[in-house]
Amino acid sequence: MRQQYARRTQLVMLVISLISLAIIMQIVRIQNSPEAAIFDERALDYQYEWRTFYPDRGEIYDRSGHLLAGNKSVYEIGVDLNMVKDANAIAGAVSVELGMDYSEVLDTIQNPPDGLSYIVIADFVELQKALRLKDLKVKLQEDAEEGTLGGLTGLEFKSHPQRSYPENSLGSNIIGFVNREGRGYFGIEEKYDTLLAGNPVQVLVPTDPNKASEIARVPDGTTLVLTINRDLQAASEKILDDSLAKYGALSGTIVIMDPRNGELLSMASTPRMDLNQFWEYGTVFDNASDYNRAISMPYEPGSVIKILTMAAALDSGTVTPGTTYLDTGSILVGGAMIQNWDQAPWGVQDMTGCLQHSLNVCMATLSTSMGAGTFYNYMDKFGLGHLTGVDLAGEAAGRLKIPGDSDWYAVDLGTNSFGQGVAATPVQIMMAASAIANDGRTVTPHALYAMVRGGRQYNVPAQFAGSPITEQTANTLSEMLAVSLETEGSLALVPGYRVAGKTGTAQIPVNGFYDDTATNASFIGWGPVDDPQFMIYVWLERPEESIWGSETAAPVFAEIAEKTIILLDIPPDTIRLQLAAK
Amino acid sequence: MNIQNVNHLVHAYKIAPWRIQRQWIGTALLAVVALAMVATLYLDVTSQAAIAGREIQDLTVSIAIGQQVSADLQTQLASLTSASVMEQRALDLGFRPMESAEAEYLVVPGYFEPEPEILSSTPLPQLSALTIPPEYNESLLDWVDEKIASSARGRQ
Repeated sequence: MRQQYARRTQLVMLVISLISLAIIMQIVRIQNSPEAAIFDERALDYQYEWRTFYPDRGEIYDRSGHLLAGNKSVYEIGVDLNMVKDANAIAGAVSVELGMDYSEVLDTIQNPPDGLSYIVIADFVELQKALRLKDLKVKLQEDAEEGTLGGLTGLEFKSHPQRSYPENSLGSNIIGFVNREGRGYFGIEEKYDTLLAGNPVQVLVPTDPNKASEIARVPDGTTLVLTINRDLQAASEKILDDSLAKYGALSGTIVIMDPRNGELLSMASTPRMDLNQFWEYGTVFDNASDYNRAISMPYEPGSVIKILTMAAALDSGTVTPGTTYLDTGSILVGGAMIQNWDQAPWGVQDMTGCLQHSLNVCMATLSTSMGAGTFYNYMDKFGLGHLTGVDLAGEAAGRLKIPGDSDWYAVDLGTNSFGQGVAATPVQIMMAASAIANDGRTVTPHALYAMVRGGRQYNVPAQFAGSPITEQTANTLSEMLAVSLETEGSLALVPGYRVAGKTGTAQIPVNGFYDDTATNASFIGWGPVDDPQFMIYVWLERPEESIWGSETAAPVFAEIAEKTIILLDIPPDTIRLQLAAK
Repeated sequence: MNIQNVNHLVHAYKIAPWRIQRQWIGTALLAVVALAMVATLYLDVTSQAAIAGREIQDLTVSIAIGQQVSADLQTQLASLTSASVMEQRALDLGFRPMESAEAEYLVVPGYFEPEPEILSSTPLPQLSALTIPPEYNESLLDWVDEKIASSARGRQ
């Protein structure tokens, strides 16, 4: 009996073992069959999928943390053609909400290009509009009978970021803009386009949850902090606009820089555009150089260049502040007669008088006394004719003709000394003049204060471009310029604060000849003289109220200087010196 | 009962066929139980890993959505506090721009000129997927594959 039981047990075990073996063999066979290889290959297609990432473009802040350029969500609205239940309903809803043509939308859905299962109906749709459509889709789904699909089934929404400028046109000439393809144009947006980045990236993403750690992390763009002071920028733009209206000028520029480190505090230029409507660029600007006149539009600045000529003469030892000369009202240079602005002789003048009365003859005398070699060597060291390296896209180098150039003539040595025949941008002249305000050292103007990436902030240090003159020359000339403004009773003077500066009134060359009826009015100044904390450049193009810089650009300087003093909390000289004495 | 009889009984017990069969069955059952335990553990760990992976995927999407919402709100806030809006609000409230002559400067001990905004500090160290040892994210099959591959490499 026991034996019989044992045999049966063995038989059952044998059968089970055989069945198990058969199952295992079948598993192995299936796993290694040609069909399995096909399935494996197909499975590979589903292990990863291409996905488009929209990393946020780096933000742009002013120096106080005000957002100047950020990102907002917009929607791509499309149709999944395999899921469409009611094409008429989709076309109707989209045409009402997005203002699109009903029949066009319907035709797009009903007659799509071959091979497409998804078509884009509209992109860059504002959040509110997209949400209204989304809500409608949900409502129709809820209202639909159970087990049936809503009328807008198949309508798909994909959000992605778009550049947004909360301050609209404020600082537009500095910031630049980004088009819909994510490319930066002008200003900071173009200069630091690679850093700000944030362009859409296609990445292979694993769909297997076990490979979640392989999900690509596309880093956002670098955030930038600018040296710009938003409130000062707003004030500069307002004063500039008011000045254009007041003096009937065609266009203008106001730049404020810290001469100690080259930080651009504000840079106003006309015209400006709402950066949120960048497609209006073509209607606002005639040329790319109009976008930011402060860096892109060289012009003959006129007498503001005299401070550089005087700096060169003092530094080379050609003259001292007390050196006098007899002004006869004209001087012959290179066979051409150079006259003062009023064609009058000014008699015996010292160097301060030269600057105070802005005498062309005096400047031509200085440049010819120095000689072309010395004069142009200094102008070169001041950076005329060279790019300043300002970190804004679209800078122009201007032009300084030098002996040896095919279009340089001997008379240029005379005319260049008072700003004729030389083209420079406002920011170039500021860089050159920074040597006078900053103990002989020129600073590189820049708009970037810091970069923020990976949670760390990297501050940009000040860059010094050279020392064209000595500290003694710089301080002496600064004092001479302050005295000349005070003696003249200039409209550029700021009550309670000692400032140094120089006006410029330059005729405008038209077709090789100077236009007698129109001028460029300029003023460059800085203060407080003993500890310069701001340098301001004003340029008004073709003012009609008065052609003179002393009557147009100079009072604008005073107005913006007063605003600067308030916004930068600079106490009057008396209080500041008292505090310093303590 | 003498000692010889006892030895005989013990010997008979040891060579009893049912006892050998039981030993075989016991061993087989033990192997089956061990395999079942390993399979259960493997299934449990794999399913937990899959759930965690799915959660990571969901959280990644949530983070992206959160960042987008945050950017939206930040931009909206900046629009509501833009220079022109704030100026208009100030004017509506009866304020006017200050003249420089109206400013009074007081010495405030300990006051420092405001520095440009510092937007970030040194971040906390973040866990990176690359720093997690393979023991924590590879499956049993991955481990076996890796061992086979490494031994094959070793032979080469």
